[in-house]
Amino acid sequence: MNISGIYVLTSPDRLEECCANLAGLPGVEVHYRDVNSGKIVVTQEADNVSAEVDGLKRIKALPHIIVAEFVNHWFEEDQEMVSEIPPDLDDFEGLRHARVPDYLHK
Amino acid sequence: MSITRRDFMKSTVAASAAAAVGIPISQIAKAEVAEAEKDWQWDKAVCRFCGVGCGIMCATKDGRIVATKGDPDAPVNRGLNCIKGYFNGKILYGKDRLTQPLMRMTDGKFDKQGKFAPVTWDQAFDEMEKQFRRAHGELGPAGVSIIGSGQYTVQEGYVAAKFMKAGVRSNNIDPNARHCMASAVAAFIQTFGIDEPSGNYDDIEYTDTAVLWGANMAECHPILWSRITDRKLSHPDMKLVNLSTFGNMSSSVADLEIIFKPNTDLAIQNYIAREIVHRDAVNWDFVNKHCVFATGPYDIGYGMRNTDKFAHDAEKDIQAKENAVVLDEAEAVAQRRKAGETVEQKNAGGAGKHWQISYDDFKTAVEPYTLDFVAELSKGDPDESLDDFKVKLKQLADWFIDDQRKLVSFWTMGFNQHQRGTWVNEQCYMNHLLLGKQAQPGNGAFSLTGQPSACGTAREVGTFAHRLPADMVVANPKHRERSEKLWKLPAKTINPKVGSHIVKIMRDLEDGNIKFAWVQVNNPFQATANANHWIEAARKSDNFIVCSDPYPTVSAKVADLILPSAMIFEKWGAYGNAERRTQMWREQVPPPGQARSDVWQVLEFSKRFTVKDFWGEQKLPGLKADGFEDGKLPDVIAAARDMGYSPDDNMYKVLFATPANTKVAWPDPVAKGHDNHTVVALGENWFPEKALFEEYAEFGRGHEHDLAPFDVYYRDDVRGLKWPVVDGKETPWRFNGEYDPYVPKGEKFAFYGKALKAIPKGNLDGVTDPNKTAHTDKAKIFFRPYAAPVEQPDKNYDLWYCTGRVLEHWHTGTMTRRVPELHRAVPTATLFMHPADAQSRNMQRKDVVWIESRRGKIKAVLETQGRDRMPKGYVFLPFFDEGVFANKIALDATCPISKETDYKKCAVKVYKA
Repeated sequence: MNISGIYVLTSPDRLEECCANLAGLPGVEVHYRDVNSGKIVVTQEADNVSAEVDGLKRIKALPHIIVAEFVNHWFEEDQEMVSEIPPDLDDFEGLRHARVPDYLHK
Repeated sequence: MSITRRDFMKSTVAASAAAAVGIPISQIAKAEVAEAEKDWQWDKAVCRFCGVGCGIMCATKDGRIVATKGDPDAPVNRGLNCIKGYFNGKILYGKDRLTQPLMRMTDGKFDKQGKFAPVTWDQAFDEMEKQFRRAHGELGPAGVSIIGSGQYTVQEGYVAAKFMKAGVRSNNIDPNARHCMASAVAAFIQTFGIDEPSGNYDDIEYTDTAVLWGANMAECHPILWSRITDRKLSHPDMKLVNLSTFGNMSSSVADLEIIFKPNTDLAIQNYIAREIVHRDAVNWDFVNKHCVFATGPYDIGYGMRNTDKFAHDAEKDIQAKENAVVLDEAEAVAQRRKAGETVEQKNAGGAGKHWQISYDDFKTAVEPYTLDFVAELSKGDPDESLDDFKVKLKQLADWFIDDQRKLVSFWTMGFNQHQRGTWVNEQCYMNHLLLGKQAQPGNGAFSLTGQPSACGTAREVGTFAHRLPADMVVANPKHRERSEKLWKLPAKTINPKVGSHIVKIMRDLEDGNIKFAWVQVNNPFQATANANHWIEAARKSDNFIVCSDPYPTVSAKVADLILPSAMIFEKWGAYGNAERRTQMWREQVPPPGQARSDVWQVLEFSKRFTVKDFWGEQKLPGLKADGFEDGKLPDVIAAARDMGYSPDDNMYKVLFATPANTKVAWPDPVAKGHDNHTVVALGENWFPEKALFEEYAEFGRGHEHDLAPFDVYYRDDVRGLKWPVVDGKETPWRFNGEYDPYVPKGEKFAFYGKALKAIPKGNLDGVTDPNKTAHTDKAKIFFRPYAAPVEQPDKNYDLWYCTGRVLEHWHTGTMTRRVPELHRAVPTATLFMHPADAQSRNMQRKDVVWIESRRGKIKAVLETQGRDRMPKGYVFLPFFDEGVFANKIALDATCPISKETDYKKCAVKVYKA
């Protein structure tokens, strides 16, 4: 479960239209809007951080959006660190081939 | 999670975000935020990533970072974060974080061919010392090197530079900032006599026109981009121009998108200059009082080796151009010569020399750059009509010349990573100076940086092969003398011979001139062009490579010893951003396992060497300097003894734990309860980060580079200060009498930098009067001609190839690829290509393709849509992905003045894998 606070900027004359579009996106709620500046703050709820990033991309793709950026987030997740030698560290030969290291996919 | 709890968290996240971006929130909402965050300890910090230098707030709980957010009080970003900044807290917690020293071993002993195995710090330093002594003994100070970084904290850069320059007497320390900022630096020094931009980010809110020259700000500097888009929205007359070699995200709100051919930015700027001259728009009040015209040689080579000894067969035709080139039609016009003429590159060794010319000479020089000539030469999109393109160029010149319009030029790697990078930077100042649009709010040519402390550390501290702190250089006897005095060294300790720059360190490893390299805070074996050569060189049996890094990078993989480093919030530090703003942070959390700060690593290593190891007579091949015997650094041990040093004193005591420094006590009230693992690991009771910062700051105070006292930067009401900081006041616009205390009283402007002010007189062909005249307080307006790229598409390699960044990843991806969400957003680097170019090669979007140059081949997935739009004949590949390894095939040609690599243009072919 991730909740992110996202700052959105549109031109003031598009504020209503933008807020309506934003509210129509999954997990998005409009909390603050400023009619003078066109500033909007929304929260977005997403199952995981990957969905969170996809959500920001959806917002950026809406019409009349000038800026859309994360401001803060709240998350509950495991931050355990693994202290072992990365498996492909010795794989110098691996550098000769085009591929993404396996450990990044885990 | 209950609905109530979820709603509660949502409203607090929203309230906190609203407060950050300046939307008023209620008292109730404020109280809710306070309740939700009651166990968190917030402290100000700085973003780890690019050169913008955003302030962030960092929350810790039980020794872990639990949240970060944009700092609402930070003047740079005003509460915003880009996607990289947003995940700052998470880069510490990658699953493959290195937590213990690892060495290549067989049967419990170091073995170059062995597998990595954990060792203790003592074992690691034992082997490192042995290998350092071996290389130093065989080759002298020139045989060892440090590859440093624009991501060094100020203190890290300072200890590394002092260890090498004052201790080892080697100038072989050079940062990856050479790849990033060197052309900007060379142009600053040649034009103004002092490094760093005159303006600051507030220029954005003061200007009417922003011109991006090879800077995809929307992706690479998103926070500055948000300020630009904000300005555009609130100021209807604001115009935005995006000059680029391909269509990118920054074009989305641009009024003018100009797609030009590689290197022809040189011609476009001369076209603007010609228009200024022809429309009689030179601001003569400004130019007469504050400027002088200058030029330099054209036959300066391309920064490649001048021998083909190390070149593979396929590389030899391009390498040969280092010695002589045949001028093409456009170069002939642009340089007033004949097409087909062979020009020996006689000034490759003296590329930086320059002399004064007359305004008439300058006029003659820009005369060939007519609209017809420049448009024909520079139009980069074959599908655009020449007439349309001409209209755009003319519009650009109109906006420049309009005297009612303020104008800022921004650039980054498009200019800096350029075979004529110094020239193209200087051309930008040329037009701003001709018009008097420089060093004023909203008016100026502004070089942005790519790394968080390229300005504050790499440049100001002087971690380059030719530099000392505060813009001083090793080749200048007065600068050496002043440094020796401040560092309390015997006279002639500092080596006057410029060391090897980063590309040359790689070349020296290949040809046996350097046999020990310590990589700190960067990933040079992925980031240096023509990488296959350097990877092989690292693995040569008599080279020893040490890599300090938190993660297993390409450089770690090719190393012999890996030292686990503490990351940004695990140590005390300071960064200086692109607008001269120094910002500091406290250690927030302890480093994991046995990871340690880079400051500790250098200090600890320095304990292993004594005065007699380094300060006796040293051989130094090629050294020729006044007061020095050829090829030798003198024995200064006797002089050192007179100063109170014993030959057996170790370098830690001589250079770092000095009587003055050890008086700066730890613990210190400025810590406010925060820890310092560097002090604990040293087992000391002095505060190295504070003591060494103050020692370093002495170089700049009273010398146009003043920094405030250490503690000031930690005050709650301070969000960094722009140097020079004089009498407690920062300097928003340099060289401008209204804002800059260094401008003499009563003067409106003074370009007071001291370097290279005295130059001979000459004409467009060369020097006519070698007697030097000093042009005190003046800036130089350089004429620099168009020059063709050294490698261009031909029948065999038929496409332009350019490398760069994407929004989600930073540099070689060392940190950003460890944040799963950034990695998932853009997991691998894709090759961007025009759909018609794909079709004509029988390839489709998502195909795996080979990209091949004279230097090797790599595989990537093809993309013909998306954020970057290529003109026909042009491909772009991001370099963050070690799996794809864009720099294996890039050309290692550099600007011959700055030695910065041109990553933006070489020739490749692409075919289906």
